[in-house]
Amino acid sequence: MSNQKKRNFQIEAFKHRVVVDPKYADKTWKVLEHAIHEIYNHNASGLSFEELYRNAYNMVLHKFGEKLYSGLVSTMTSHLKEISKSIEAAQGESFLEELNRKWNDHNKALQMIRDILMYMDRTYIPSNHKTPVHELGLNLWRDNIIHSSKIQSRLLNTLLELVHRERTGEVIDRGLMRNIIKMLMDLGSAVYQEDFEKHFLEVSAEFYKVESQKFIECCDCGEYLKKAEKRLNEEIERVTHYLDAKSEIKITSVVEKEMIANHMPRLVHMENSGLVNMLLDDKYEDLGRMYNLFRRVPNGLLTIREVMTSHLRETGKQLVTDPERLKDPVEFVQRLLDEKDKYDSIINKAFSNDKTFQNALTNSFEYFINLNARSPEFISLFVDDKLRKGLKGVSEEDVEIILDKVMMLFRYLQEKDVFEKYYKQHLAKRLLSGKTVSDDAERSLIVKLKTECGYQFTSKLEGMFTDMKTSQDTMQGFYASHPELGEGPTLVVQVLTTGSWPTQPSSTCNLPSEMSALCEKFRSYYLGTHTGRRLSWQTNMGNADMKATFGKGQKHELNVSTYQMCVLMLFNNAERLNYKEIEQATEIPAPELKRCLQSMACVKGKNVLRKEPMSKDIGEEDAFFVNDKFSSKFYKVKIGTVVAQKESEPEKQETRQRVEEDRKPQIEAALVRIMKSRRVLDHNNLISEVTKQLQQRFLPNPTEIKKRIESLIERDFLERDNVDRKLYRYLA
Amino acid sequence: MAITGARQKAAVQALKASDWHLEGAFDVFYSQPQSKTHTDSRHLEELYNRYKDPYLDMIMADGIARLCNDLQVDPQDIVMLVVSWHMKAATMCEFSKQEFVGGLQSLGIDSLEKFQERIPFMRSELKDEQKFREIYTFSFGWAKEKGQKSLALDTAIGMWQLLFAEKHWPLVDHWCQFLQARHNKAISRDTWSQLLEFTRTVDSGLANYDAEGAWPYLIDEFVDYLNENGVGADGFSRTIGA
Repeated sequence: MSNQKKRNFQIEAFKHRVVVDPKYADKTWKVLEHAIHEIYNHNASGLSFEELYRNAYNMVLHKFGEKLYSGLVSTMTSHLKEISKSIEAAQGESFLEELNRKWNDHNKALQMIRDILMYMDRTYIPSNHKTPVHELGLNLWRDNIIHSSKIQSRLLNTLLELVHRERTGEVIDRGLMRNIIKMLMDLGSAVYQEDFEKHFLEVSAEFYKVESQKFIECCDCGEYLKKAEKRLNEEIERVTHYLDAKSEIKITSVVEKEMIANHMPRLVHMENSGLVNMLLDDKYEDLGRMYNLFRRVPNGLLTIREVMTSHLRETGKQLVTDPERLKDPVEFVQRLLDEKDKYDSIINKAFSNDKTFQNALTNSFEYFINLNARSPEFISLFVDDKLRKGLKGVSEEDVEIILDKVMMLFRYLQEKDVFEKYYKQHLAKRLLSGKTVSDDAERSLIVKLKTECGYQFTSKLEGMFTDMKTSQDTMQGFYASHPELGEGPTLVVQVLTTGSWPTQPSSTCNLPSEMSALCEKFRSYYLGTHTGRRLSWQTNMGNADMKATFGKGQKHELNVSTYQMCVLMLFNNAERLNYKEIEQATEIPAPELKRCLQSMACVKGKNVLRKEPMSKDIGEEDAFFVNDKFSSKFYKVKIGTVVAQKESEPEKQETRQRVEEDRKPQIEAALVRIMKSRRVLDHNNLISEVTKQLQQRFLPNPTEIKKRIESLIERDFLERDNVDRKLYRYLA
Repeated sequence: MAITGARQKAAVQALKASDWHLEGAFDVFYSQPQSKTHTDSRHLEELYNRYKDPYLDMIMADGIARLCNDLQVDPQDIVMLVVSWHMKAATMCEFSKQEFVGGLQSLGIDSLEKFQERIPFMRSELKDEQKFREIYTFSFGWAKEKGQKSLALDTAIGMWQLLFAEKHWPLVDHWCQFLQARHNKAISRDTWSQLLEFTRTVDSGLANYDAEGAWPYLIDEFVDYLNENGVGADGFSRTIGA
């Protein structure tokens, strides 16, 4: 056996001598070129993917990427040029179809080519900053087909033509459109926009400009808006079907601009059908449509709001200054409430409760309700009417609803203190004559006023209620302690705390002896239990129920005022009395006495007295008799109840004067309060602070504030600064 | 020296300080505090006694009239107001001894001659902005009735006419007319002092009148009155010759 020597093995790489055939690149390329041709000729099935891939791979590997790439470009380009010709040759309808078909083919081809050339795509192309194959394919398509001079404009026009036809009602091939548009989108947003969208928008603008002009000439506002809405919806639908989603906002703004924004003023102010007419006729649907359309354009809602506001202000102003309306305060306020309801409805149903519209409504109401200085009085009269009879039989919830609505009107008032004054007067009359329909309703309203204006506003009103209750208890106590009085006339006394009730100067009146004795007993009873108080009879505010038997035996129960009672009782002792005698006996002041006699002698159905002469006015020499012939359908006859009425001119002046006088100390108190805390403040800021503090109750007049400031300077509460005369200083 | 009543030394000083310009010299002189010239208190006592009322220890209207006569000055002359101001007189038409003597002392007067010499000086004080203001303010307290807070309208009008004859205010007549027509009540101190501000700040055409300017309401009403009567924007008074 031979000795086997250890020998070092070396395994060397198999050095395969690659013989670079000079013609190698050309040959390889030819193969690939051929393949591309086949692919474009729909003959790809005969090709071997693996072989082609390897060929391409080798070319790149052996540094022939450049050749491969440029070959690709030129081959593809030449194919595309042919394709272009065939598309150009297509006639009419088939143009788009041909284009679409060729595009699909191209995409398929491109896919395959890209797969084959994937190695190049991943190595040669990036490192040489060349366009990747797929993108290249799209660009070449774009440059050779889409931007070909014979195709470019034809394509655009065809597309626009189709859109136009669809707009005029024809049915078009949406699928085809979608594909073509998608093609443009795939080619890049620049292509889509430049080659289609831009022109599409321009043409659309033109179209809608013309159409809107046509419509506006022949349609009324409501119809026009319907059409505009329809068009808008169409365009949105069009986009979803075959355009780029990003176009939606662009095309809708074109429609909005052309159909709405450009015609807004004309639409809104259109005679007989514009916004104002819609408001008047409660056209909720039309208004809602207008709202939805206008909110899309700048200043659309602003326009609606402005027109609505000015209309409302105008209407409101007429309402409150119309002399006819002012004759009946209850009707006046009802009309205001109706108007408010109407607009609340409109804002709710058509303007989707838009807050800015609600604010506009509030501002308008605030504006015109305060144009009439009697608004506070009238609102109080309205409430008075409701609480006397209007709310009879109304359910609790409905009562609340009505009162809440009244509170809304109350909030709009600038001069809330005037309302307070009247409300007090009217409440007093209601309470004293026992004429209120529902105690609960009364209290409910007081609570609402308290919530709105604070405790001080309602403390006196509440005091009035307390007095009524206390008086009831007092009466019970009185009769309990004087059982012997059960037989005689029944006395009901209401003890009113001065200061809570509206002041009235009490006047003289001689009560008939039966009554005065009774009253004295009450007085001593009361003062016995409440020392240190003073009572004064308010004979001008009372009433009495009397049983009367007339000449033919007819019996009636008469409800009369205290004054009237005094007069009538005189006739128990005399057949005939003249004016002077009555005056002397009763000591009732002349104007009241005359009114009282008039109501009993000169009013049909209430003439329990007969007067000679039969004139309407009371003369000093007139004589009075009991009217034996008096008759009435009713057993109970009401004569001269003290009902709250609209004030006469002089009374109104007086009330207003009192209100003005009351305001002065309030202004001064506010001034002192503010200056005390600020120490030093300039004129303008002081005025605005005072106004702010008082505006819950009333709007102070700046001139009046100035006068109060000067009065405070006089009385050494404030001084002017030496250097800056506009600055005030608080003097401790 | 004739005009200012100054001593020769002071006069020369003033002239030197102003480089021998006469106008400047006046400024210099008046801006210096007056040197306290010596007054003889006996002479002052005599002077006082000459004019004092027989029954009261005061110089009353009668005495003042005689004083004016001796000075050859009209009692209505505004210089008497200036005199009263120097005396810090409490009420018009009467001087207490202290007021009279104290005032004359501060002016360096102890004889009628000296008094007469000082009169031109006192007149000139009205030309001084600051002094005029003090005199104006003083006049309110001086002219009103003792114990009253406000100045009676007639008196106020008289004072205004006197004062604004010195320091010319073109609207003074309108103001007085307005008050008589529309106001007819006494004038408060605030209104009095604010009026001076008004004359100094607002021009007679009312161009720079600021309605938000915290003027007393009476002045606001005056402006309204002027506007009603066509005085205003163009600066011309149409009813009375400006």
